[in-house]
Amino acid sequence: MAEPAPDVLQRSDDQKPPIKSGKKRWRPQWSAGVALIPAMTITIVCFYGFIIWTFVISLTRSRLLPVYKFTGFDQYVRLFANERWWTAMQNLAIHGFLFIGGCVVFGYLLAILIDRGVKAEGMFRTLFMLPLSMSFIVTGVIWQWVMNPGLGLQEAVRALGWASFEFNWIVRPDRSIYTLAIAGIWQQVGLCMALFLAGLRNIDPNIWKASRVDGIPVWRVYLHIITPMMRTVFFTVFILMSAIVMKAFDLVVALTGGGPGFSSDLPARFVVDHILNRQELGLGAAGAFVLLCTVIAVISPYIYFELKKERSGRGH
Amino acid sequence: MMKFSKFAACAAFLSVGVSAGALHAQTAEVLHWWTSGSEQAALGEIRKAFEAKGGTWVDTPIAGGGNARAAAVNRMLGGDPAAVFQFSIGQQLRELADQGLLANVGDVAKAENWDEKLPPLIVKAAKYDGNYIAAPINIHGENWMFYNTSVLEKAGVEVPETWDDFIAAAEKLKAAGVTPIGLGGQPWQERIMFNSVLLGVAGREFYAELYSTLDDDLLKSDTMRKVFETFAALKPFVDEASPGRNWNEATNMVAKGDAAFQFMGDWAKGEIIAAGIEPGTTVGCAFAPAIDKAYIMTVDAFAFSAMDGEDATPAQTLMAQVMLEPDVQIAFNKKKGSIPARLDVPADSFDVCAQTAIKTLQDKKTHLVSTGLFGVPSAVSGAIDDSISNFWNSADMSPEEGQAQFQQAISYAK
Repeated sequence: MAEPAPDVLQRSDDQKPPIKSGKKRWRPQWSAGVALIPAMTITIVCFYGFIIWTFVISLTRSRLLPVYKFTGFDQYVRLFANERWWTAMQNLAIHGFLFIGGCVVFGYLLAILIDRGVKAEGMFRTLFMLPLSMSFIVTGVIWQWVMNPGLGLQEAVRALGWASFEFNWIVRPDRSIYTLAIAGIWQQVGLCMALFLAGLRNIDPNIWKASRVDGIPVWRVYLHIITPMMRTVFFTVFILMSAIVMKAFDLVVALTGGGPGFSSDLPARFVVDHILNRQELGLGAAGAFVLLCTVIAVISPYIYFELKKERSGRGH
Repeated sequence: MMKFSKFAACAAFLSVGVSAGALHAQTAEVLHWWTSGSEQAALGEIRKAFEAKGGTWVDTPIAGGGNARAAAVNRMLGGDPAAVFQFSIGQQLRELADQGLLANVGDVAKAENWDEKLPPLIVKAAKYDGNYIAAPINIHGENWMFYNTSVLEKAGVEVPETWDDFIAAAEKLKAAGVTPIGLGGQPWQERIMFNSVLLGVAGREFYAELYSTLDDDLLKSDTMRKVFETFAALKPFVDEASPGRNWNEATNMVAKGDAAFQFMGDWAKGEIIAAGIEPGTTVGCAFAPAIDKAYIMTVDAFAFSAMDGEDATPAQTLMAQVMLEPDVQIAFNKKKGSIPARLDVPADSFDVCAQTAIKTLQDKKTHLVSTGLFGVPSAVSGAIDDSISNFWNSADMSPEEGQAQFQQAISYAK
């Protein structure tokens, strides 16, 4: 192997060039500010503006059309009395935990296996990335067929002679939510693998050499040395996958349609269903707003700690 | 002379051009969600008649009822409404009328005497402030029971007339290795079956009163508990793969003989015909078992946007008139699988099932409305679907619990 590239070492404790003070500074900042105006306008209007509007609507009686007859928190009372909403929220927690957890674990393992230098690495990489090229709708339809007890995997295995084989989660109200995680992980694991692989390739080869000299077993190097170094990658993966979980709508529509009953419903589908199909604009808006608050409550502490750590880490 | 005739020709040409321009005022954009083969063919009949009368039809199909309704409303709010749009009649349409977004076609309705010719319940749902804001064009029935005659014969089972008979028959069929009920396990299909049980066990008066008043006492009554018990007793008769199945796949199970019965609206006939079977032969149709005769109606309708003011434009008037012409009603409904909204058109060219329906509806006491589209407010409709579907799919929920949940869901939504 080639000897340590000094630039790698340098990069690891890289310092940003000190910011120059004085007159020269204002010009680039001013033009950057101008360039940002369109993006900021869009963000303020389409993002924060509509969040506020959604909240306002959720305080009204609106059904098919927005009307501004305020009824206080009536819609929230109705929402919290709705069994389907709680099922959906519970499902979001289950699905989020399994999906993000699964993507992280399997994505990381695949990345490690590929990083160990398998043959035909390119082929495996492509193979794992392929599902990503499909939309959630297509993924949902494929898995619906695979998991349909009448024509999918269960039927195929039984036809091979294992007559008592059972894989009917998609039609079981107590299991259907897990099928979402299976299909979701299958689709997204490739992306996670790619991100982790990029992270692993960035690890300084000297660390491996040092650990080999010290005779540390490979699994311990991964567990105690490499993994902590990959912190930012884990963070990225977590944020990306969380966004996918929160807006998960198409997958559940295509895979289970929320069924059986509403056992695999998710909040996003609840909201869309109530606004578009049931003409319950107010209730749907209340659902959307509660969903937003939940997301903020769950994710913001994590983001806060990560960013704080990063900032203080940079100070050293 | 030559010059003069040229001038005359020019004038004649121009006047033709002008009258063609006047005809152009008869242009109507039609927004609808009928994208499947039979639906397109049926709508084509209206289009043909409209164009024969000098109208110009601009077709805007949008797949999916929810999407199409949203598109129609959004365009109205955005100031670029489609002149004619498919919509369900009832509360939501009245909400649009409240905002002054709809035109009324009361003049045509009066001239054609819709009040007399349409079923009173439909008249009520299509009117706002005493004026028609929509043209109801057909009636679908939801309490049909389709069955495979050869499967029933083989198992030695008669077409059941009560729910007790049905359960006995289903047990025999199950023992013979057939799936007794081909059910598509989606909430609205489960609700169609539930409403058939409700009608069959509790009777048409109970059904009508329950859904028009949504009264707590009725919801908590013993009659209602019996309905839930009967409904629960059907759970063992569907196959494992039922959840999530589309209605037409379930219809095909009956057509192929894999399943014996399906409870579905009469649009299933389209699928049966597509399978090469004439409805009423190998696949028979009957009303779901019931203690008295009734027809749970659901209606397709077109509404009219206010283009300038609340009076209908000539094109909209022409469209409304064409849609309810007897010939168009017959041609349209034969392709759609429904029956005419007008009860006075001759029934003899329809299939057996439709003839039965038309004959039944002559008695106004049989008229009931579906909870799916216009019988109840959409919030209640959704709550009904949710709680029925939840009850059907929860193996460990007792009929009492199901009934309590049903009552609660409705009282929160109304």
